[in-house]
Amino acid sequence: MSDQKLVKLKWNNTEISAPENSNLLKAALDNGIEVAHYCYHPGLSVAGVCRMCNVEQEGVPRPYLSCNATVKEGMNVTNTTPKIKEMVEWALQMHLVNHPLDCPICDQAGECGLQDYYMKYGGYDSSMVDQKVHKIKVKDIGRNVMLDAERCILCSRCVRFTSEVTGTHELGILNRGDHAEITVNENLNNDYAQNLVDICPVGALTSTDFRFKQRVWYLQNVETTCIGCETGCSVRVDYNKTGAYRVKPVYDSTVNSYWMCDHGRNTYKHVSSVDRVLEPLKNKDGMFLETTVQDVLGTLKNKKLKFIFNTQMTNEELSGYLKFAGKSAQDFTFYQLQNGSGPAFDGILKRSNQNININGLTDVLTKANLAQTLQAGHLDEFIKNLKSDDVVVVVVPEFNLKEDHFSTLLQKIKNVKTKVGLTTNNSFDCLTKFDYLLPAPTFLEKEGTLFNYNKTARKLHKGKMFIKEDYNLSSYLQLLG
Amino acid sequence: MILNNALYKHHGYLKGIFLALKVTIMTMFYNLFKIKKRMTLNYPEETYQYSGRMKGLHVLTLKDDGSLRCTSCMLCATNCPADCIHIVAAEDKDPHVEKAPVSFEIELLRCVFCGFCEEACPVDAIRLTNQYEMSGYAESEWLVDEKFLSKRPSLNSGTGILSLVNDSNRFKLPANMDFHETLMVKPK
Repeated sequence: MSDQKLVKLKWNNTEISAPENSNLLKAALDNGIEVAHYCYHPGLSVAGVCRMCNVEQEGVPRPYLSCNATVKEGMNVTNTTPKIKEMVEWALQMHLVNHPLDCPICDQAGECGLQDYYMKYGGYDSSMVDQKVHKIKVKDIGRNVMLDAERCILCSRCVRFTSEVTGTHELGILNRGDHAEITVNENLNNDYAQNLVDICPVGALTSTDFRFKQRVWYLQNVETTCIGCETGCSVRVDYNKTGAYRVKPVYDSTVNSYWMCDHGRNTYKHVSSVDRVLEPLKNKDGMFLETTVQDVLGTLKNKKLKFIFNTQMTNEELSGYLKFAGKSAQDFTFYQLQNGSGPAFDGILKRSNQNININGLTDVLTKANLAQTLQAGHLDEFIKNLKSDDVVVVVVPEFNLKEDHFSTLLQKIKNVKTKVGLTTNNSFDCLTKFDYLLPAPTFLEKEGTLFNYNKTARKLHKGKMFIKEDYNLSSYLQLLG
Repeated sequence: MILNNALYKHHGYLKGIFLALKVTIMTMFYNLFKIKKRMTLNYPEETYQYSGRMKGLHVLTLKDDGSLRCTSCMLCATNCPADCIHIVAAEDKDPHVEKAPVSFEIELLRCVFCGFCEEACPVDAIRLTNQYEMSGYAESEWLVDEKFLSKRPSLNSGTGILSLVNDSNRFKLPANMDFHETLMVKPK
């Protein structure tokens, strides 16, 4: 797009510039002009079925759809005339003819296109006198997506998504007129199915994972980076004081466009789960009892600390450690996660390599001349050199951890007397091999930088702390002195 | 200390006392001889019946089948200025209901009885009754759950539930039917 010629046009008498021959509706939306639309999505093809984005152009006799038009030099278009407003109102009224109006029990309420545009362009009394047509409700169509065909306004975004982005063609529109509805050829079977929930402008497709957990107006969000794989998609995590509730993609032209995979949508789950380690824990015969940081760190004082990090830590965490303690390659090493299932790259976004920040860590370590610690054999060599009176601190990966693989690591270091785990969650039985567990922040609770698969810097941003502010590696190191 | 020396000198001590207690004494004799007309009640043997519009203890209405009307849309909790309503929603067995509360709790000590929850409710599921007698020692006694709110013995002269509200009598009241007959608390 960027190499295309920028041309000037007028929209509602404000001058905007957009690439020539680009989409007229997108030009308006990119320049912050509000145009009502349901079926148009910048990541999908043009359908022109919702009839909401009509505009009038000077010199053109009739209104036309802006989503199906292209930008030309010197256009003068407007969508605020009474004629257009009336058209939008009538289009909206037609969309709502068979809409069940079950906003109280609909998860979309609060972020629903129908609600927004009714308040803005509607405000009429319904002139519908006939019985509404009833369709399928509450149908689980697989991959955590719930279909409610009654709420659907047939914008066909979901149909286009399954045919254009994933190419799996699970959804279609059957029947005509009032009886037209979204039909499921076969249950959803792609790794990007949850995007359907995002692109659905109404509550027809909702997520069974988020269903009824919270109303959306109770949620705050923070834009951060997904830690699901080394792609590092831009995401938005929705949370409130009781916990994190969902992950949604944020548009990023360099990495993930408008989408993200279903695997990445699970990354919020450990943040506020019941097995979260909120306070330092002390192992007493396989049971973890709460204790204080001073108690744990007191036992570690004046001992030789050896660190086993993971490849999910941020650049800042590693350079903080290097500043405080790590000067030699004998003091620390890295535990690398196993690859996830599936191909190395699935062609859209998902990658199987789950050592999400290995590029960033390589970068930091190369600068400190310690890059050999990331090599494959270093972990075994490190374990061989451990003495039984050393203290091993293992920073447990917060996501994508496989218990079998991780417990073999713990098996290897079982001869060491004192083992401390820095973990976000106490989710596996094998963690009982640790003598102490110290709480660590999750990706939602820290600022930091990750380098993704092509060494682009991706930022983590802090949302809400579910543990105390100073429960992190660098403050533990500071307390140890 | 004598406040008004001139009056004291004019009336003297005993007459002054009676003048000062004039209203009190009059009310005493009025209450003694016209006992039915007096303002106060012999509470708790006698209780005052407030109008149905009074904003007292909450009640959750039920459907014909005895389940809660509440769809747990959280509008009451959102509208609540005291932040005292706590609802946990879940999937309902009945696909026509879809969403129903598994827990509906009100912190009565926090509640300011403003009635905003009643106004926000789209399905007429929560109402404020004219019950005003509440007492309890522990804080836990003031955290009431959906069982207490929908079915408590004191409701509706001991029948235990306020009234069954189905959609037909919510929306299609006959023109001659008194609204209070179907919807409000029946007087004791």
